[in-house]
Formats: sequence, C-alpha cells, structure tokens
Amino acid sequence: MRLRPAPVAAVAAIAVLAVAVPILPLDNPTRMEIAHRFAAPSAAHWLGQDEYGRDVLTRLLWGARVSLSVAAASAGIACVLGILLGLVGGFLRGIVEVLTVRSMDVVLCFPPLLLALLVVTLLGPGAGTLIPVLAVLYLPGFVRVVYAGVLTVRSQDYVEAVRALGAGPVRIMGRTILPNIAGPVLVQFSLAAASAVVLESGLSFLGLGVVPPAPSWGLMIGAARATMTQSPLLLLWPCAALTLTILAMNALCDALRDAVDPHGVPARRRGAVRLPALLPGLVPTRGPALEVRNLTVAIDTPAGVIHPVRDVSLAVGAGETLAIVGESGSGKSLTGLAVLGLLPPIARVVQGAAWVEGQEVLRLPEPARRKLRGGAIAMIFQDPLSSLNPVHRIGDQIHEALLAHARRGGERLRQRVVALLTRVGIPDPAARARAYPHELSGGMRQRAMIAMAIANDPRVLIADEPTTALDVTIQAQVLTLLGDLRRERGMGVVFITHSLPVVAEIADRVAVMYAGEIVEQGPAATVFAKPLHPYTSALLASAPHEDGSLPDGIPGIVPLPHELPPGCAFAPRCRHRIPDCDAQRPALVETGEGHTSRCLRWREFA
Amino acid sequence: MTAAPSPLLVAEGVTRRFGARGLFTRARPVQAVTDVWLSLGRGETVGLVGESGSGKSTLGRMLLGLLPPSEGQVWFDGVDLARATPAERRALRRRMQIVFQDPHSSLDPRRTIGAQIADGPTIHALVPPAERRARVEGLLGQVGLAPSHADRYPHEFSGGQRQRIGIARALATNPEFLVADEPVSALDVSVQAQVLALLADLRSRFGLALLFISHDLAVVRSLCDRVVVLYLGRVMESGPVAQVLEAPRHPYTQALLSAAPSLEASRRRTRILLQGDPPSPSAPPSGCVFRTRCPVAMPACAETVPALVDGVACLRVG
Repeated sequence: MRLRPAPVAAVAAIAVLAVAVPILPLDNPTRMEIAHRFAAPSAAHWLGQDEYGRDVLTRLLWGARVSLSVAAASAGIACVLGILLGLVGGFLRGIVEVLTVRSMDVVLCFPPLLLALLVVTLLGPGAGTLIPVLAVLYLPGFVRVVYAGVLTVRSQDYVEAVRALGAGPVRIMGRTILPNIAGPVLVQFSLAAASAVVLESGLSFLGLGVVPPAPSWGLMIGAARATMTQSPLLLLWPCAALTLTILAMNALCDALRDAVDPHGVPARRRGAVRLPALLPGLVPTRGPALEVRNLTVAIDTPAGVIHPVRDVSLAVGAGETLAIVGESGSGKSLTGLAVLGLLPPIARVVQGAAWVEGQEVLRLPEPARRKLRGGAIAMIFQDPLSSLNPVHRIGDQIHEALLAHARRGGERLRQRVVALLTRVGIPDPAARARAYPHELSGGMRQRAMIAMAIANDPRVLIADEPTTALDVTIQAQVLTLLGDLRRERGMGVVFITHSLPVVAEIADRVAVMYAGEIVEQGPAATVFAKPLHPYTSALLASAPHEDGSLPDGIPGIVPLPHELPPGCAFAPRCRHRIPDCDAQRPALVETGEGHTSRCLRWREFA
Repeated sequence: MTAAPSPLLVAEGVTRRFGARGLFTRARPVQAVTDVWLSLGRGETVGLVGESGSGKSTLGRMLLGLLPPSEGQVWFDGVDLARATPAERRALRRRMQIVFQDPHSSLDPRRTIGAQIADGPTIHALVPPAERRARVEGLLGQVGLAPSHADRYPHEFSGGQRQRIGIARALATNPEFLVADEPVSALDVSVQAQVLALLADLRSRFGLALLFISHDLAVVRSLCDRVVVLYLGRVMESGPVAQVLEAPRHPYTQALLSAAPSLEASRRRTRILLQGDPPSPSAPPSGCVFRTRCPVAMPACAETVPALVDGVACLRVG
C-alpha cells in the first residue's frame, strides 16, 4: 500500500497544529485589547487583531481545534454507524434491511439545516450538541453508500467462494465485503467531514453552534462579515483556513482510496499523433474488398510505448471470409477496431494503410470515416447487450443506422427495417421492431445487431467474436445466417475469433495472430491440414480432441507487450526452438500459393 | 461382484423454484431445476451439460448445499444437507468445494492470493497458524505456481493463472467433492488445455468426486465418466460418456452434438439446426419441455412429461 505523501503531510500538519495549540506560545484566544482593534498584521500579531483586539492567529488555531474536532467526530461517528447498519442491512436483507436501511430514509426526508436548527434550539447551542446532530445528518449517506456497495459485492463469486469455504457471516462481512467497499466509503467520509466543517461554520455563524467568546471559524467569519468594510483581511483568514482544510481532506481521502486499491491508477493519454502521408504510388494489390498493409498500433503506457499490433497485412476479397484467430492479447480485436477508426483513446495507428474497395481509410478525416462506418464497412461485436443502446427500441436503432446514410427518411425506410429483421430470421419482425434490447434473447439481439450492420449493404463486415457469448445451438444458427448473407450480398467478412472449430467451419482463409503479429496466413483447409508455424500446430493440439483424450496445452503464457522477447515472440513456448530463433525476429515468408509463415524452420514442417 | 459402495452424493428429485413473491411484486416464479435424480460415487467425474438457462449452475449449488432445494433431498455421505445441524454443516463445508467460471470475479481483488488460499484451512483450523504459509506454498506448487506468488494480488495474474489459484483455494480444505462450474469456458484454448490437465491430474491424485458443469461437449468428453444433459431444468439424457456422446438417443442431445463446430471435416454430420430460442423458464411448455424446438415432436409430446427411462426422457425412444 503506497500512499501519496503530499496530502498526508498537509492533513497531518493541520491536525498537529490543532492538537498542539494549548502548548504553543500563543495568546489567550479570548484576551481583548480594545485599544488595538482592527490592528494590521505586525511582528507580535502576525495576522493582525480583530474587532475586540484579540489575536487573529491565536483564534484561527483555537478555532481549527473546535471546527476540526466537531467535523472529525461527527463524520467518524456517522461513518462507523453507517458501515455497521449498511453492512448488516445489505448482507442479511429481509427484516434487518427494513430496520436499518429503510429507517434511514426517514432521516433523509428532513431538510438538514432545519433538523439542525430544531435540535440546537431544543438542546441549546454548543459543540457537544453539534456532534450528535451532524452525525445523525450524515448517517443516511453512509448507510446508503455502504448498502449499495454490499449489494454489488455480495453477488460476486468470491463472496460465494468464502461461503463455500464455510466462513460465517461476520467473517464474510468484515474480511471480504468491507475491504471491497472501502473506496466509496472513504470518499463519502471526505465529503461528510468537509461538509461538517462548513455546516459547523454556518451554524456558528447563525449563532447556533459554538458559543462566543470561544473561537470558531464560523464565528470569526460571522464577526468579520459585520466589519467587512473596515477590515476585509479579517474575513480572508478564516475563509482561507476553511478552504485549505477542506482541499487537504479531500486530497487525503482520494489518496487513501487509491492506496487501498491494489490495481493502481490508470494512465492518461497524451496528445494525438499524425500518421505520415502515404508514399505516392502505393495502391492495393488486387482490388479486394479490404486490404490492410503493415498496420502497427501503439499504446502509451506508464512503462513506455507498447505495440499490441505489429506489421499486420491482410486482404479479404468480395464474398470471402477471412478468419483472424488468436488468443486474448494477440491483437486481433485491435486490428479490426483500427481499420474502422474505433480504437480506444489510448491507442493510435502509427504505421500502415488500409483500403476499403480501393479507398485508403486510415488517413481519412473523421467526418469521411463516419460516413464509411456503417456504410461500406460495418462491425458486429461479441456482446450485443452492451453494443445495442438499451433505451431505444431495436427498430429505431436500425432505422437510425439507415437514416445516417440515406438522403431522407419516411415510410420506405420503416419498411426496410422490417425487411431487414425478417432477413436475419427474427420471428414476428413488425412487433419485435418495437422491442427494447433487454426484451430479446441473446441470439435475437445478435440477429438485430447483424440487421443493423447489413442495413446499408456494407462491402466489408468485421465480426468480432459474434458467437462467443451464445449457446452452441444458437451459435450454429448465427453462423449459418452470416454465411448466407455473405454469399447473397458478396460481402467480404473478417471473422475475429478464438475458436478454431468455428474457423474450420466458416473460413475460406485464416490469419493466425500471436502477441500482436500474424504468424501464419493461408487457405483455411491448408493451414489446418498442414500448419507451417509451431504456434498454429500447438493451438490445434490444444483444442479438445474428438476421441476423448485430454488435449495438450501450450506451456507458459503469452508474453506481455512490453516484455516481448528479442527474437521470435513464440520462441519461449516453442518446442522447436533453436538458438537462431532468439537472435532476430523472423520475417513473414511466402511458403506456397497465398500461404505465409513467420517461422525460421517452416521447411521442416512442410 | 459384491454390492456397489454407497455413492458419496445422492440427489433425490431435487427441484428449485425462484419465487418472485415480494411485497409489491407478483412475478411468475421461475422453475430453474425440476425433479433431478443424480448420484456421484467417490472419485467419479460426472459432466453436467446444458445451455444457458438450463439450470446447471443452480443444480451445482444445490448439490453443494449453498442453495436449499424447494423440493427433494441432497444426501452427502449419508447426511441430508437440509437437516444437518450447524456443526454438521460446517464439517460438510470442508469436504465439498467449488471452482467458478469467471476467473476475474471469483477472487477477492483486495486480498493477496495467499490470504485467500489460507481462508479454508484457517476457518476449519486444519493447520496451526505457523504452518499456514507452508500449506499455501505447497498448494501453489501443486497447481503449477511459484511459492512467491502468495504475496501478490489477483490482478497481477493472467486468466489461466487465476483459475489455478481458484483451484488451489478449493483444494486447500482437502475436499472429497468438487463442483467445477464452467472452469475453462472463459480461458484461451491453450490455457484451457493446461487447466483441464491439472483438474484431471488432481482428481486422480486426491480421489475427488467431480461434478463438471460445461456447455462444451468436447471438453466433457475428455474429462468425464458419465454425462447428464439438462434442458430447461430437466434431465433429457444421462449415461456413460461414450454412450451419450457417441450414440445420442434424445433429439436434444443429437441437436446439441451436431451444432457444435468441429475441426475435423469428417465429424461434421448433417447439422440439425434447431429453430428459435429455448423458452423462458418462467413459462415452460406443457409436456416435454423440448417439444417446441424438437424436430420430431408429435402431438402426444404436449400431453405427458416423458419419464427418464433407461437414461432417456423422450416418448419417441423405446
């Protein structure tokens, strides 16, 4: 656990000052010197003297003691009680939940200032009254935050796991749930403490908090306001103290929240970088639907620039299916997103070109690219529930896709929506067009997504794991549908997947990616029958065998993008490794008709 | 041959409804699992196969006693889980464990993996505190990780490594029965094979009874002795792996097998393409639950619920 030092030091300094006030060589905060009222700052009185000639610095420090102890005590009490009530209510549910969480909602019904005024009027002003009043005011906030956190965390598998281990409720709540909701609770604490400082000042200002002549920042602000024209500086000191304290407290709570999170803080993006212009005369080779050449994608990380996609070249003809197959972290999805210009903000294309029907797309300005997306080139994703907008009817979303590329709307477009839904095999399409995404099953949602993608007759369809989230009987339906659409519309399909059996079923050609590079590419039948790269063979051997014997895994793990080996990226896991493999990065060599491999020893496998 | 040894785990007609009978809601209760009979011997591996919504995870949690059945009983080593005393239940907890599907949500992100693996032995006081560390390191070694990994947090590991950690946590209490709920579906294929090999190895080394929940028939084939096929909470077919997966008799099993994509062209039989989606478990069809998608359904299928006879629940068979 690493805590940023600056906020800790700031809050510690404020706290130490407040605690040490009685032993500091200071004046009595209530000693008056009427003769020197409104005296300017001097050597004896660093911040000057107030309307009764009292030393401002002394009163400020004594006031900090009062303000901070009221704030810390009330926020602390509210925090502890809130954690207890929220944890118990959220974890045990049922009647306990009604007693703990719902009863708090009653407190929320009172306007906070009114409640405070009422109690203070009944019990009399003073710091002793303020603490319980503020604690009660902040309690519902804590209960709510803790309760919401518990509801999220309690459904996680790791809570089920400790339950299965035989842990009792107290252990689960204390050891497992509490640490996982610490972040939001700390933020709530900083808000409550800061707000308590302000509220204490406000109530004292109104004469309902700390009783004069005891010092408090609220009283000081109140008094200074009355004499603002004579001595504006008097107003500045308590206000500055208040602001700095609150800023320091918020910074500390943010630092604490980051420190209790073992993940660390994510990196931020730097300015955009322009792709260099294309060399004159560089044109696609055969006029395919999509051609990508030497695509390289870079991401800036705290550890330096990494290249999760390196030097990827591929082409897919009209009516052809090219499968990009690879494991997680191979760069297959980023390749697809780069072509569409949909890379996440931290990633950028640093090299290469891509042509859609002869038009270079990576250098297009954004408006032109937008026209292209959903027009000549479309994409479908793995999870249609998160890629369809949950608050719009699916018919409207398809209509929207059509409208983005049509000159005008009208009844004809509406009819096309229904025709598209019919084409992708959604039963009762007119009625289903009015359904929201959550009302459809996973398979139906993926069909709706496909309808949206093919709405404008794209030349290229990029499908990123479109069947991974589906059941096998539904997967078979969607694969059949995609195959039919490709044939009847002559679309080029780039099918991104990790499943070799799916590739074997649907692909004409296959590109195998490993750690950001294409290691082998060729006709699917040839690649599967006679792989010319050890990674492809190892991948084939790790698919479950049909004869029931256990598959062979590949030892080790995919190297991280910033820890790539100097030579062949697969060498550390390769059974056929020789010293040459570590010497230099092998080039992609042509091994036969349209078949390439990035292995030094491919001849031995041929 | 003498009488067969009594099975470790027996489920007798277990049914689970998720009632939505709240104070203000009156939704239709969902019947997730209906009348399942199952037994599992020591050291035996049974595959539980079904699509999403088939109730396979619910059944797995009932067999572990994490979820009480609405009807029926689960017996573990002769003890009825529902009627066990708190002390008995605590003792039983140690003997049965679970491995989850999602390697990201199954580990507590805020605690080191060593602390999480030590939870089981600590709760059940299996090892003295001084030996806990050694026990954790030993377990890490058994699942193929380094002892020094104990001090790291879950996010520092890959998906496959996390799944190994989840397995180590489950093994820490020396269980006799392990439910593996889709333990490899979230993993890459090369890593999937590693984890399957690990499970197979540990199973034989510890004599574990394993309930392997999966939607992937190829994976089940490589690991299991017997297989149970669930559809909408009911058993469609069950029997030895070789019999059910090589010569399926129930039309659903046949469709499931033919729908699975295959690497070998020779195995790609003529595909039985099921129409539509599985019906909602809150409104299951009358009679046979599969009849709405069944290619060979007949009128009688809507009338009677087919009984599981000789491992198949279909009016067309037998």
